[in-house]
Amino acid sequence: MTDLPGYLVTGLGTGCGYALVGSGLVAVYRVTRVVNFAQGAFAVVGAMCAASFLTALPHGLGELAAVAVAAVVGLLVGMVALATDPRSALIVTLGLSVFAYAVEVLVWGDQPRSFAGLPGAVTIGDARVQSHYLLVIGVTLPVFAGMALFFTRTGTGKALTACASNPYAAKVIGIDVRRMGWLAFAIGGALGGLAGVLVTPVQQITFDADVTLIVNGFAAAILGGLTRPAVTLAGGLLLGVTQALVAGYGNAAHQTDVALGLMIVVMIWRAAQRQTRGPVEEPV
Amino acid sequence: MKVLIAAAVVTLALPVFLDGKQLGIYVLAGLAAMVTVGLSLLMGQAGQISLGQASFYAIGAYTAGLLSVHGTAPVLGLLAAPVVAAAFAAVVGAGVLRLRGHYLAFATLAMQLILLSVLAQSTWAGGAIGLQGIPRLSVGGFELAEDIQYAYLVWAGLAVVLVVAHNLVRSRPGRGLRALATSEVAAAASGVPVGRYRLAVFTLSAAFAGLAGGIYAFYLGYLGPGSFPVLLSIEYVVMAVVGGLGTLAGGVVGAVAIVLLVQALNELATSPGMPSYAPSVLSYAVYGLLLVVVVLWLPRGIVPALRGKERT
Repeated sequence: MTDLPGYLVTGLGTGCGYALVGSGLVAVYRVTRVVNFAQGAFAVVGAMCAASFLTALPHGLGELAAVAVAAVVGLLVGMVALATDPRSALIVTLGLSVFAYAVEVLVWGDQPRSFAGLPGAVTIGDARVQSHYLLVIGVTLPVFAGMALFFTRTGTGKALTACASNPYAAKVIGIDVRRMGWLAFAIGGALGGLAGVLVTPVQQITFDADVTLIVNGFAAAILGGLTRPAVTLAGGLLLGVTQALVAGYGNAAHQTDVALGLMIVVMIWRAAQRQTRGPVEEPV
Repeated sequence: MKVLIAAAVVTLALPVFLDGKQLGIYVLAGLAAMVTVGLSLLMGQAGQISLGQASFYAIGAYTAGLLSVHGTAPVLGLLAAPVVAAAFAAVVGAGVLRLRGHYLAFATLAMQLILLSVLAQSTWAGGAIGLQGIPRLSVGGFELAEDIQYAYLVWAGLAVVLVVAHNLVRSRPGRGLRALATSEVAAAASGVPVGRYRLAVFTLSAAFAGLAGGIYAFYLGYLGPGSFPVLLSIEYVVMAVVGGLGTLAGGVVGAVAIVLLVQALNELATSPGMPSYAPSVLSYAVYGLLLVVVVLWLPRGIVPALRGKERT
């Protein structure tokens, strides 16, 4: 039982990564109604860039530069994806993330990459936990708080929220909805990149890790119907802790299966809820 | 109709003139076409996308493989393959399909990840090493041992798939499905049982994939989790999108075109002087670019675009 606090911390750390990927999905979906399959690729690009930049730049600067690159990649993906309707955009972003494989293998090779994070370990309960997990949690929570402030208190954030709730009305009052869509993709790119940069020191990343990341991120975001960042954070943490507990007390090999099974159950539960409420449009 | 008969005659005669390696490509293209026709129906007619279609292929293959390894008559294994795949689809789809949007895409993707990890860890399925020693398919005392016999088996399988799919498209449920792909609300208001039809076409697409998987198991005689990566599911999406969603010919044309293209790229990438990562890089780049380019500039796919030219 004394292992529990250790599992909780590693679970929360991993969960923060899922929550960040998920919140990137939410940022894009709210504004553009596009489910961005390339969200996992942003994390991979961020992580790979950080691994390269850190050979020349000091810690902090290298990570920031990697997040910036991911944001630019997000913007570029958005520019391509928003050239079509939201339904086809999923296929476009799927295509772009497969194309990203080609670029990633060319630039970084197909071997797993990692880089050093926060060194050392702390003792929590009876378990030794890498202190980097604490850093992940310490960065993610302020980022979510900052996002909440950005969306509710700043002009740009309010404009984004306006596009989310009613694109037509937003256009009428002079908001450039298309540009807001691009901005949403850039934010999604930065959030995805941040997830990759934060998680890579404790979990190696390969070019095709984006599938696991996007599925877990989607699982986190789906709890809040793909529109609520706060619920996404809760969903990501729940997912991470569940995985850590399954790995700790059960079989590590089944940790992802359990989390993904949980996601399918949540989706079916939401479907049943919709069923009882009748086929009305979701109020998003 | 003339085109159809010509295509049937040509594809029936073709295996006689092919050598061993080309026969292999013929079989793989036919199997891919069986899966893609189902996926194309699902995407085009029901407006849903499955990113885990390879998992139904895998379920069919493992069903046929496991049954025949344990002494069941191979024919029964082959018949069970589509049934078991369809049953899996029905269970997953029953809940998730009522939701609109991209829920099915992620549910099927998650299903495939779970399936791959379960297969890799289960000793009864051969684990990560895979299932070996699957007997050749035999009907009565007649054993299909030659590649050319499998080419004709695949031809027959694809014919069955096309006939079933054609009847579905032309039937009342088929018209209901098309209505629902255009406007769900209008279809529901006109009395189309939206959820039930969607589930039916999803289950049917899984059955097609399962049947293809069953043939694949007997053709290869070996199955491993590595034969059914997530990328294979994405390949099917590429084939369906490139060929043209919702059209039967589109599924076949897309599958054959992509299989031939990938084959040509492999030849190119493994030619002397190319780096070792060339095959994977080239195929990723081509899949990605094809998806983006076709969706943006040829949204209805090759086959409808060609047909449109004919008419004007």
